[in-house]
Amino acid sequence: MDNRDQFTRDVTDRMSSSSTTRRTLLKGFAAAGAAISVSSKIAWADGEIGYWAKDLPPEKLIDMYSTILRIRWFDRTLADKMLGDRSFRNLIHLYCGQEAVATGVCAALNNKGPFEEIDVIYGTHRPTGHAIAKGVDMKKLAAEYNFKATGLNRGYAGEMHLADKSVGYIGADGIVGPAAVIAAGSAFAFRARGNKQVAVVFGGDGTYATAAFHSSMNNASLLKLPFIYVLENNLYHQFAHYSYSCPMKDIATAASMYRVPGYVVDGQDVMQVYNKMKDAVERARAGEGPTLIEAKTYRYYAHWGAPGATVGQMGSFGYDPQAITSWRPERELRDWLQRDPVDICRNTLISWGVIDQAKASAIEAAAKQDVKDAFEWEAKQPLCKPEDGLKNVFVEGSVAARQLG
Amino acid sequence: MAQKSFMYAVYEAVQHEMRQRKDMTWLFELTPAVASSPGVPVINLEKEFGRTRVNNTGIDEMWMAGATLGAGLVGTTAITYIPYQGSQIPFEMLQNHAGKLHYMSGGDATMPVVFIIEISGQSPGFGGQHSDYECDSYYAHIAGLKVVIASTPYDAKGMMVSAIRDPNPVVYLFPAGLRQLSEEVPDDQYTVPLDKAVVRTIGNDLTIVSSGAGMPSVLDAADQLQKAGMKVEAIDLRSLKPIDTETLVASVQKTKRLLTFDQSYYTLCPGAEVIARVAENVDGARYKRIAFPDAPPPASPEMFTWMRPNAGHIVAAARKLVS
Repeated sequence: MDNRDQFTRDVTDRMSSSSTTRRTLLKGFAAAGAAISVSSKIAWADGEIGYWAKDLPPEKLIDMYSTILRIRWFDRTLADKMLGDRSFRNLIHLYCGQEAVATGVCAALNNKGPFEEIDVIYGTHRPTGHAIAKGVDMKKLAAEYNFKATGLNRGYAGEMHLADKSVGYIGADGIVGPAAVIAAGSAFAFRARGNKQVAVVFGGDGTYATAAFHSSMNNASLLKLPFIYVLENNLYHQFAHYSYSCPMKDIATAASMYRVPGYVVDGQDVMQVYNKMKDAVERARAGEGPTLIEAKTYRYYAHWGAPGATVGQMGSFGYDPQAITSWRPERELRDWLQRDPVDICRNTLISWGVIDQAKASAIEAAAKQDVKDAFEWEAKQPLCKPEDGLKNVFVEGSVAARQLG
Repeated sequence: MAQKSFMYAVYEAVQHEMRQRKDMTWLFELTPAVASSPGVPVINLEKEFGRTRVNNTGIDEMWMAGATLGAGLVGTTAITYIPYQGSQIPFEMLQNHAGKLHYMSGGDATMPVVFIIEISGQSPGFGGQHSDYECDSYYAHIAGLKVVIASTPYDAKGMMVSAIRDPNPVVYLFPAGLRQLSEEVPDDQYTVPLDKAVVRTIGNDLTIVSSGAGMPSVLDAADQLQKAGMKVEAIDLRSLKPIDTETLVASVQKTKRLLTFDQSYYTLCPGAEVIARVAENVDGARYKRIAFPDAPPPASPEMFTWMRPNAGHIVAAARKLVS
């Protein structure tokens, strides 16, 4: 309820500078106190514009900028390794270009505390951003990406099945669709528990076409679940433009059919993502039900790995043989690079006077160093023992080595 | 006649049939409907036949399988290519609808459709969901579906032609690891039967049975064993439903030793069915099966490559069985 009290204060502050008519109206709400606290929508329409980033303290803003940078440099390091470092053995689905989405979303969630109390997220096959923003340790992440025995999931996950309960990251998923329904199931459990936990699913534009989209939205709406669908529209599912799978320009408009609020946000601006996510989280915690947020964003690299990219240069500009005939225009990528989430966040914080150019450079240098340290640690980690592949099938015991006949 | 890849051979069969049948449809996602192979013209089904017949759908395998089935039920020959990223999602459409509608309607409903289901199984590092090879067992268990799997480009084309022309729903398992496997493939259409296994090498000492992506390892092992003096009869099932019991029984009557090789999980792998059928018909034979352990595939290449059945495992098991 703290947020609601804050909200009431915001409204009261605004009253002092409002017109007489509005003041009278708001006094009416204040007199009927319950009306304001129950029906926040009326009050929002009447004044609060939902720019919640205005209330964020400097250390939180700096942390968000740092998170964006750590995701950026983690994935750029991966891209360069995939292009030239044979000791790195995996091909990763890079998140570069989408950093503000995961960062803005997770900044509005509870990420620290007992597992039974923190908010949970379900990620996608493009996991770096979700993992780092939720708080996964970058050293363990780097080691898992390179299949090391000391990696986040001891080499069983690789990239697409990462999971870290300690920060509420239920996990990545290699299959497009199912996570939305499963996340709604977690929200169902939270409602049954009667606590304030929230379940978030990240899904790409490709998830709209799946049966899981309908099931998760429909059931979350029917049951008023504390569920938030963050649809990262990076325009392409693999190599096909989303116009192949969705008849609307804005996928968020689908939410209205379920009587769920659906919003389009600028996914390159972390503050815009945070603002809308904050609304959605408050709505979920208050028992008012789900929200769909469509973040318009862009993937700087190809669908998978770094074909068409060059070491030291961000983005895949060259031909991707996997795309065959469905190749995105290079000019589209260069256009999106003009609205880079790193630049937007840095320039915003400098213009707000939160940091100056020197401080911005220092934050970036620290993020790069953290990434460097993570990969240096990873390089020293041991490989998995082959026979450990027979463990973890069930909670207890191991299975037989049937390949040996 | 030219060298053609497995992938190309499949598309060539489809292209030819689509030219003959003006209403035949193809639904795909992710993987563009394009095949190329050195020295032969590029096949682009979407470009040649247009988006009305060849449609790039969203990521919705339920639609792909269901729409193909629906097209078949109104008399259209229809195919869908479901990539390994979504190969188990359409299960209900196949198991409870495609497999049962002809029967439940007392023979009224017919479905001249082909479900190409890609299976992976070849990829260390892909992790639990993208390197499985288990769905051969799942689909082969379904009543009312023909389930086939080719292991060579020649068979891939001939079996695709047969599958398209077959009036029953056919699950055409496509081992992704064999996409680029190449050999001489005729330009003209020809058929390969959907119910016959093929004997790849002839021998009296030991019968080895496998299918699809398991066959290259079997042929490699058979070659090693032949060189060491063991006469191996290697059989490629080609059809998992129906299973060609006659060919299997005839071979094991002769060799009295049967080794099955699957990349599928051990429990209920195709080899389990093969052994059961042979055991019912042959007295005094010895049996062994090699399969992937009953564990999801791990991402780590160290764990995965150790667990994945290979030619070395076949050679070792064969020596034990024949000794």
